[in-house]
Amino acid sequence: MNLPGWTREPLVHFLVAGAALFALFLWQGEPADTASRTITVTREDRARLAIEWERTMQRPPTDAELDDQVERYLREEVLYREALRLGLDRDDPVVRKRMSNKMDFLAASMAEAAHASDETLAAWLAGHPQRYAEDTSYSFDQLYFAERAAAQRALAAPDGGEDISVPPTFEAASRSEVEARLGAGFVTRLDALKPDSTWQGPVPSGFGWHLVRLRQRSIGKVPPLANIRSAVEADWRSETQAARREEAYRILRDAYDVKIER
Amino acid sequence: MGRARKLVSGIAIVAVLGAGAYWLTRPKVIDPAEITAAEDEVALTEFPERVLFGDTHLHTDNSIDAFGFGVRLGPEEALKFARGDEVTSTTGIKAKLARPLDFLVIADHSDALGMTRRLYDAPRLAIRDKTLRRWRDMMHESPEESVRATSELIAAAGAGTLPAAMLDPSRRDENTAEIWGNQLKVLDRYYKPGKFTPIAGFEYTLQPDGNNLHRVVMFRDGIERTSKILPYPGLESTVDGLFDYMDGYEKATGGRVLAIPHNSNLSNGLMFELTDAGGGPMTAEYARRRAAREPVVEATQIKGDSEAHPFLSPNDEFADFGKKGWEIGNLTLSFAKKDSMLAGEYLREALKRGLSIEERTGANPYKFGMIGSTDSHTALATGDEDNFFGKHTGNEPNKDRAMTPQNLGTRVGRFGWNYLAGGYAAVWARANTRAEIFDAMMRREVYATTGPRMVVRFFGGFDFAADAFKGDWVRAGYKTGVPMGGELTDGGAKAPRFLVSALKDSEGAHLDRVQIIKGWVDASGATREKIYDVAWSDADKRRPVNGKVPAVGDTVNRAKATYTNTIGAAELRTVWTDPDYKPGQRAFYYVRVLEIPTPRWPLFDAVRFGFKLSPEAMADAVAQERAYSSPIWIGPAARKTAAR
Repeated sequence: MNLPGWTREPLVHFLVAGAALFALFLWQGEPADTASRTITVTREDRARLAIEWERTMQRPPTDAELDDQVERYLREEVLYREALRLGLDRDDPVVRKRMSNKMDFLAASMAEAAHASDETLAAWLAGHPQRYAEDTSYSFDQLYFAERAAAQRALAAPDGGEDISVPPTFEAASRSEVEARLGAGFVTRLDALKPDSTWQGPVPSGFGWHLVRLRQRSIGKVPPLANIRSAVEADWRSETQAARREEAYRILRDAYDVKIER
Repeated sequence: MGRARKLVSGIAIVAVLGAGAYWLTRPKVIDPAEITAAEDEVALTEFPERVLFGDTHLHTDNSIDAFGFGVRLGPEEALKFARGDEVTSTTGIKAKLARPLDFLVIADHSDALGMTRRLYDAPRLAIRDKTLRRWRDMMHESPEESVRATSELIAAAGAGTLPAAMLDPSRRDENTAEIWGNQLKVLDRYYKPGKFTPIAGFEYTLQPDGNNLHRVVMFRDGIERTSKILPYPGLESTVDGLFDYMDGYEKATGGRVLAIPHNSNLSNGLMFELTDAGGGPMTAEYARRRAAREPVVEATQIKGDSEAHPFLSPNDEFADFGKKGWEIGNLTLSFAKKDSMLAGEYLREALKRGLSIEERTGANPYKFGMIGSTDSHTALATGDEDNFFGKHTGNEPNKDRAMTPQNLGTRVGRFGWNYLAGGYAAVWARANTRAEIFDAMMRREVYATTGPRMVVRFFGGFDFAADAFKGDWVRAGYKTGVPMGGELTDGGAKAPRFLVSALKDSEGAHLDRVQIIKGWVDASGATREKIYDVAWSDADKRRPVNGKVPAVGDTVNRAKATYTNTIGAAELRTVWTDPDYKPGQRAFYYVRVLEIPTPRWPLFDAVRFGFKLSPEAMADAVAQERAYSSPIWIGPAARKTAAR
């Protein structure tokens, strides 16, 4: 689909969506008149209360339980209307703060709604390859020795080793798995070894010393976008959100003359 | 000029609102089919090969008290942190886990989910309730006052005097639905089957009179099922109500859910009663229901350790871990503790009570496994001594937190240093997915650690070879025995035999010893316990004296908060046969692994911030961290009982 570039401008999205909302409110009017002293608990209201109950308990409320819910709902509605009548919603620092938070939230939610095209995500992926690269994997054998000297002595003719509950061989084990089993220090040392068929070491771990035969090390590749689309999209979205929030604020901010007196 | 700008900004505001409304009708959900496909790609090993570490009990800013205590990080930051990303804590400290976790249950309080945030945000004059208004003011006044307000709130919840406005269900459901729904979406976004598993849950906060009967409720399922219900509130309910809710969920959705009791140490004897929840006689039906619903219990967490108590186990020299400050009363300290309450609070005793109830009714309500978790209210699942981010945001790392009184709403007795750094849940699952982790918990193939990632294996059977460790012993364990959490049926004259192996944390301290703790019902029907040291380091130098292995020693440098692995062992393992077994005996066996002494977080704080701990705090500044396995039970073949 080829749309002109201006259709992708956030400001245009703002304007179009805003106009639509404005028209909607104009056409529909306020949903309920909060200034009125008549409260109608409609069948829909009762149904909503009953559904909320049922969602929690997985069974419909009894008549008494539903009446109780309606009473609580009424109480809140009465107090809410009285509060509005007294103007309690105006000139309150917390209302100000809450509303500014909501604005922030709404701006960010633009990014939630925005559709991420393959090009957008491919560009994102190209910009942050290290985040998505698969773990480096290792295939190796290890022999364990509690003391360094024993490991050193065994290097000439490795065979056996001492007992430890760590697998003697690892086949294409991910970096995170080797780290979890033998510690980060061990993996760092492993990275310094040359993959070949000889026994090398001793390599220290949290348990003691190891002779290691590193058969293969495969540096993790960045998978194609199709395989990791949702992860890329989640990251793109969360960073785009932050950017949109800032962008939206900038648009608003630029419309103000700000004087700071000192 | 001014008018034109106002117009532009007005249009922009409307536009933003419009975009928001548009978005609200189109929530972003990861396609459940995509998740199922990713789960199906994860290979299941024949039996559990690598233990998974996680936290089943983490609070974020959606928890009423966590928000009040100051946290401003939500589920998304919590998941990022747990999987190993760097995040900025509420107090502005950059934080990154040195070692990521494998799974995380976000367990915000179901009561008034998001309520404190709303109270904080509410217009002051709109709050008619004097108490609520005062709390709101305190929250805005300063972080310290906010913490105080939250403490009062917890106390009121315990005393049943929360303002009615907080319990209004219509308001509650609306907000809860929004928060719950959003959270489920975030969980799915971070789910990477095979690598990192976010799990849906909530905390059920039942606390009559301030006695802690809290449970973490944890789901096996994804958004397709979990979005069909809302978290069940605890303050005006009973445990039976919770079980009804769980039944309802499973029946309506075909999903699975379990509950994990915690902080029994603050229940003033109510968590593991000899009666049913209503005070009536314990029936087989209630016992079965409870055991089925609560397969695991949190044995250790920030608010103390609930494994054993010196009063109940006077011969256990290691039972005093994580008791100071917590043993003086219930959660809110509304009632002081009496010794007679302790038996209903500690897990070892509860396991024993379970046996005796089973002897009487034919069903064991307390046949549970053990896990650890954090109960952190900072959205940061830190479990280690050197990275403790505090119980809540008010005591993220700072120079005062260790020595400051931390009493919830009272003026007596608990200090910062009484808090533990929290623990983790270790799970023997065949793969890192929601279903496998959940199922491992159901079969209790789990253990608790107080933070260190020790690898603990425990198998029970009758036919293990004495030199089983020479061969493929893990396979032998599964083939000819049962793993931790399992059950053995009395083998006639043969005494049960156990394979036990404990490997130190690859980044942590050496091990002092491995113990097997046995509880049983004797011929007179009384419950008994005995602790066996079965493997320990430097065995040739540390010969048992009066049946006890002498202390391992202590390498901790108090001035620098360091230790050395010059004592202890990297791994301890043995094949052990119960020398005191009587055929037909009803018993349980669990493993306790002790590390050599290491510095606790208050000592790290004292060194880091350069202050002095009080003599009392200093005496508790070094401890032996530990792991508790789930028990293996043995008993006569199940008999039919009248009650069913």
